Amino acid sequence: MRGDKQIVVLDPKKYKYNWKVERPERVERSKYFGNLKTVVIDSGICSHCGTCAICPVKGIIVEDKPVDFPNWKRLCIDCGACIRVCPRYTYTPISGIGDYIEVFAGKSKRFVGQDGAMVSEFMASALEMGVIDVALFVSRDDEFRPYVVHVKYKEQLKDTRITGTKYSFAPVMPELYEIARYVDGIGIIGTPCMVSGVRKLQKEIPFYEKIKFTIGLFCTENFYYWQLKEFLAEKGGDLTKATKTDIKKGEFIIDYADGSSFRISVKELEEIVPSGCKVCQDFSAIEADVSIGSVGSKDGFSSVIIRSKIGKEVYDYMNEKGYIETDEVKMSVIQRLCEYKVKIHPYPRY
Amino acid sequence: MAKSVKSPKMNLIRSVFGHLNAIIEVTKEVVMPSTITIHYPRERRKLPDNFRGLILFDKNACINCFRCSHICPANAIQMYIRENKYYPGIDYTKCILCHFCVDSCPTSALKPSKIHDVVFKSLDNMVVKPEDMINEPKVLREDYITVEYDFDEDLIMRRSKVKEKLVVEIDKPVRPDFVAGAANPENCIACRFCVNSCPQNAISFKLEDQQTMVFSIDIDKCTGCLICIRKCPTETLKAFRRDKIELEGNYERR
Repeated sequence: MRGDKQIVVLDPKKYKYNWKVERPERVERSKYFGNLKTVVIDSGICSHCGTCAICPVKGIIVEDKPVDFPNWKRLCIDCGACIRVCPRYTYTPISGIGDYIEVFAGKSKRFVGQDGAMVSEFMASALEMGVIDVALFVSRDDEFRPYVVHVKYKEQLKDTRITGTKYSFAPVMPELYEIARYVDGIGIIGTPCMVSGVRKLQKEIPFYEKIKFTIGLFCTENFYYWQLKEFLAEKGGDLTKATKTDIKKGEFIIDYADGSSFRISVKELEEIVPSGCKVCQDFSAIEADVSIGSVGSKDGFSSVIIRSKIGKEVYDYMNEKGYIETDEVKMSVIQRLCEYKVKIHPYPRY
Repeated sequence: MAKSVKSPKMNLIRSVFGHLNAIIEVTKEVVMPSTITIHYPRERRKLPDNFRGLILFDKNACINCFRCSHICPANAIQMYIRENKYYPGIDYTKCILCHFCVDSCPTSALKPSKIHDVVFKSLDNMVVKPEDMINEPKVLREDYITVEYDFDEDLIMRRSKVKEKLVVEIDKPVRPDFVAGAANPENCIACRFCVNSCPQNAISFKLEDQQTMVFSIDIDKCTGCLICIRKCPTETLKAFRRDKIELEGNYERR
């Protein structure tokens, strides 16, 4: 995977050792974050994947609001790393199901999760095999606010707070940059935009090939936590008291602790969909090692698309140990949703 | 019913022996006292070689690596600019004498000493500058006896007339001569942390054109403090032995 080494200029008389770094081209005369702001953030195609949090001065803030760099005119050191790694700076949408090795529907015998708990199962198996040392999961607090947790032992995944889906942005990539220097193998779970970000990052900076295992989730759109909370409160739902959230058959469902539930049509959520999601056409995380989602399989099962060698190795290990039950997948359903996402999210928009 | 208590019978022999015993004990204490205290400052206790006292400094050995100021748990070490280089100075109002700085010094430029009885004339004097740390402070010594405790079985105090040296000579740590080198230049994100952190200005960069940045490491200036390697966020730089600079043909010596 490692690219050719850059040209090395030797100057032996002065005992010097030189190396070159090519920074990206600018579209306007300002610092590099200004370029990123114009092209990606202000034009509304930022997917909030968080890859730009690579910023060496930690100025770029990826939190529960659009990506921002307060006081960038003074603090940006003009290294251009954010632009190099941004998957939306030169954006060509990818769509469809993509290449795959194997497709099946699976159910974990060991964990309880959103549907078949296959994400937990894959990560637990990868941890067991020693492929990765730490996996970054998103847990939630009492108010359903997402936060990132490091999972090092498979016992941690017994916690159902970690395994359920949150439907809101979490700062996984900033956390990745914090730990990348101290661990060898990292497992990442993310939406298709995050997977694209990881792949762009690995292409530009081979150091991040430490991210050895990437699980992509089927995704049509993601929400800001505060926006989702306020919107649902307006409609009569209470996200802060939820025990589980789910999207099934075009309905957003909140389950409460007393067994009751609140339902709202996904079409109504349309007005709080971030603008970056409205140009994304990748439903099935084409660039991931393994893509997982509930679409196309029975209740209690997750559809799994294995795309790479490492994903196949983990799958074979799981089969060998007998950790999963398998079932058939209706590929036509996934195909239809892929096409639907292209239809509702055209790019370029105008 | 009350009990009557009689006075003991007068026993002449017993009381004479009792008095004699007491006289002998007192005489013994006068001739050979059994106290474990010492008569400071006329006597001084022999301190172990790794005693944590005042810290002394060797300016020639210092490679300006900031390790001491980074590790200091009390934040007592400040680096002062002297002749365009940074040297440590200790603030003794904060120092807890843990000697982490001494342990962390890669060239043993910071040296321990057994000087522990120090007087400063004012609080300002307690902030010691690097040039004041080079020479050991003036010590007024009245001691003529060195006392050594022996804790092996019963406590024994050994007194000798040897005057103990307060400055300890420690062996320099065995440490290979390092040099920083860019092992993975393809990882570089042009953040210039290495350039800004280098205390010797051995790493520099220049703009070839709008996009291209050329970084260079001057091996002769590099002292091997390896701050740049700790600062580099993407492991572009690595440490190499100066005598074995053969890194995939990237380095050459004259």
